[in-house]
Amino acid sequence: MEVTLIRRWCLALLLSVLLGTACSPLPKTEIVGYVDLNALQPLPTPEQKGILPLRVAIAAVISPKGTIESYSPFLKYLETKLNRPIELVQRRTYLEINNLIEHGEVDLAFVCTSAYIQGHDAFGMELLVAPQVNGETTYHSFLIVPAHSKAQSMADLRGKVFAFTDPISLSGRVYPTYLVHQLGATPETFFARTFYTYSHDEAIRAVVNGLADGAAVDSLVYEFALRRDPSLKEKLRIIHKSPAFGIPPVVVSPLIRPQVKMELQSLLLSMAEDPVAQQAFAAIGVDRFVPISDEMYESARQLMESISFSGEP
Amino acid sequence: MSRKLFQRFWAVAGAVSVRTKILGIVLGSIFLLGSAVTFQARYALGSTLALRLEEQSISIARDLAARAADLILLNDLVGLHDLLNETLANNPNVRYAFIVTPQGQILVHTFQGGFPLPLLNLNTVRFDEHHHTVLLRTDEGFVWDTAVPILDGRIGTARVGLSDASMRAALTTLTAQIFLTILLVSGIGILVAIFLTWVLSRPILDLVAATREIAKGNFSVRVARWADDEIGDLADAFNAMAGELAQMEELRRERETLRRQLLEKVISMQEEERRRIARELHDSTSQNLTSLIVGLRMMEATCQQCPSQTRASDLRAIASRTLEEVHDLSLRLRPRVLDDLGLAAAIERLASEWEKHYRIPVDVAVQLGERLPGEVETALYRIVQEALTNIARHAQAHSVGILLERRGDYVRAIVEDDGIGFEPNTKFGERHLGLVGMRERAELLGGKLVIESAPGRGTSIFIEIPLTPFSSSDEKAEKEEWRV
Repeated sequence: MEVTLIRRWCLALLLSVLLGTACSPLPKTEIVGYVDLNALQPLPTPEQKGILPLRVAIAAVISPKGTIESYSPFLKYLETKLNRPIELVQRRTYLEINNLIEHGEVDLAFVCTSAYIQGHDAFGMELLVAPQVNGETTYHSFLIVPAHSKAQSMADLRGKVFAFTDPISLSGRVYPTYLVHQLGATPETFFARTFYTYSHDEAIRAVVNGLADGAAVDSLVYEFALRRDPSLKEKLRIIHKSPAFGIPPVVVSPLIRPQVKMELQSLLLSMAEDPVAQQAFAAIGVDRFVPISDEMYESARQLMESISFSGEP
Repeated sequence: MSRKLFQRFWAVAGAVSVRTKILGIVLGSIFLLGSAVTFQARYALGSTLALRLEEQSISIARDLAARAADLILLNDLVGLHDLLNETLANNPNVRYAFIVTPQGQILVHTFQGGFPLPLLNLNTVRFDEHHHTVLLRTDEGFVWDTAVPILDGRIGTARVGLSDASMRAALTTLTAQIFLTILLVSGIGILVAIFLTWVLSRPILDLVAATREIAKGNFSVRVARWADDEIGDLADAFNAMAGELAQMEELRRERETLRRQLLEKVISMQEEERRRIARELHDSTSQNLTSLIVGLRMMEATCQQCPSQTRASDLRAIASRTLEEVHDLSLRLRPRVLDDLGLAAAIERLASEWEKHYRIPVDVAVQLGERLPGEVETALYRIVQEALTNIARHAQAHSVGILLERRGDYVRAIVEDDGIGFEPNTKFGERHLGLVGMRERAELLGGKLVIESAPGRGTSIFIEIPLTPFSSSDEKAEKEEWRV
């Protein structure tokens, strides 16, 4: 009798403890619904777009994030003017973009000078227009070092860490390689270590952060970056400026239909007269688009040939 | 209601021993404390962990969104998939991660072989929001789902879900640990309770044992004062009470002895007085009366025909009757035969006289052998005499039996009748006093007297008196038991 009673009381206590511990604190975030995480279904195939978009490739002169920020107004403008959706295509290297252009997988492309030369000579990449910046259609390669660096020329960077931008970038790889050749060396032996940043703004960041003791960058990107972040001026120093080269152009695939090419060319050239386009120009730091011919790139082509540039890193 | 509850509680709690009560108090306290601690700890830990999981889901989603941007822009789906799976591998709490395009299509995800489609629309984030976190109920428990726009939503949204499995595991572990602790502490508590019970109940059991001793009449028993608490006070009070009782018992014994001695003296003086009066009556008064009768007879003879002759004759008749009455009286007071011939003869004479007087047949059986001590003979004679007097007065009997026999070292006497009987426990009236006197006589000699009777069933009186020398003040307790 007694034992049964004790047992019953103990059981009641135990139950109360269990009940008390069973209720966990309820989360304070709102519960929006129920989902069975193990009821997996095949993803629906994306519906086909009615209108084929115009595919615009932008070479990684600046980083992908920088590119989309800068080029958004321009692409928006094109979309409105052409009444056709625009698909932005970005790739890590210039060569990948060139491949896309070669096979007609993009229609319009902003490429680097050396990429144009390589593409033109290899598969007939066609010039469309060139951006005019500060009234010029040329640009330079700037050899930059950290502001506190004692280096005065490329010779002082011997045994240091050097950042290249892209394997086939004229200002970021070809020209500094040329400078090293002038000193009777190759980058492999001249520098302690080299690496690729795949864009010019990343190369600037690499020097600012001290990842690299020096880098060669596109003067247009450099000026643009400086405008956006004036504090860079205190962090960097230009120790060498190359001769002028033809500005990185806007090109089309050799496979593009001629009407489309004409339409695009006239649209881009007419942008200068369109007040609405000025905001788009400002975002990419361009005055206007102007026609350009292949002769503008002769000096660059010679430079590339002088270092037997094959395009391969 | 509360009264009823209390009654029910007390029906349980009051029915168990002190040991169980203490055990109940100790275990009850431990369980109460344990459950409160468990509840509180689970609540506190659960809240903290939930908050941490939510924060973690936000930081992981933010990190994923930042790192995914370039990969999305470069259309590096393999890299993106690797990034998601790395996120999953490096954060055990992450249940899933996926990237949604601005068009609402899933670019990559970490589910294997399909996607739980309802999940897609359960959390959306505006492009100008930092993040948006919701809680989802899933088949695997709660999931904190955070959505973070990538590049202000221009290229998509990163979604990360953190499962509360680790939190639940932590809570379960905590509960198990506390439970284990409670069990351990309960074990210790049981030991403590047993010790406490021993400490508390031992003095009480001592007191109980001592009380029983006192009930038996052993007033010399004392209990030890175990502790300086209420039970110690009780022990002191108990000892004081035992002392008082012992004193009172001593006083009572003295009084009893005194009373007994007095009684003995009264009885012996009474017997002596009766004997003296009887002798006086027999020797002096009877002689004088006989002389008177002889004188009257002579007067009768000398004066024939004179008027005083008739008168003398009448007087002689009165004198003879008076002599007879004196003789009777003397016999009743103290029969000489008892002193001269012993109890057997005296009883037989008493019985025959009584039979003659009351015309009720008396059957006497006496087997005594040699003579008994004088005080025993007197006592038995008086008891039988009193019994016969009672029968004559109250019993309305048709026959009476008297048995007297010697059995080893004691004498046994039985007086029985077939009269109307009575209630032997009656404490009032003349008869009661008579019975008390009979018993006193028996007990003064260390004997006992038992009366068996009931209305309509006759009466039997059993008397036993030991023949060994006996000091009257001893063996009090034994005699008590014989009192009916």
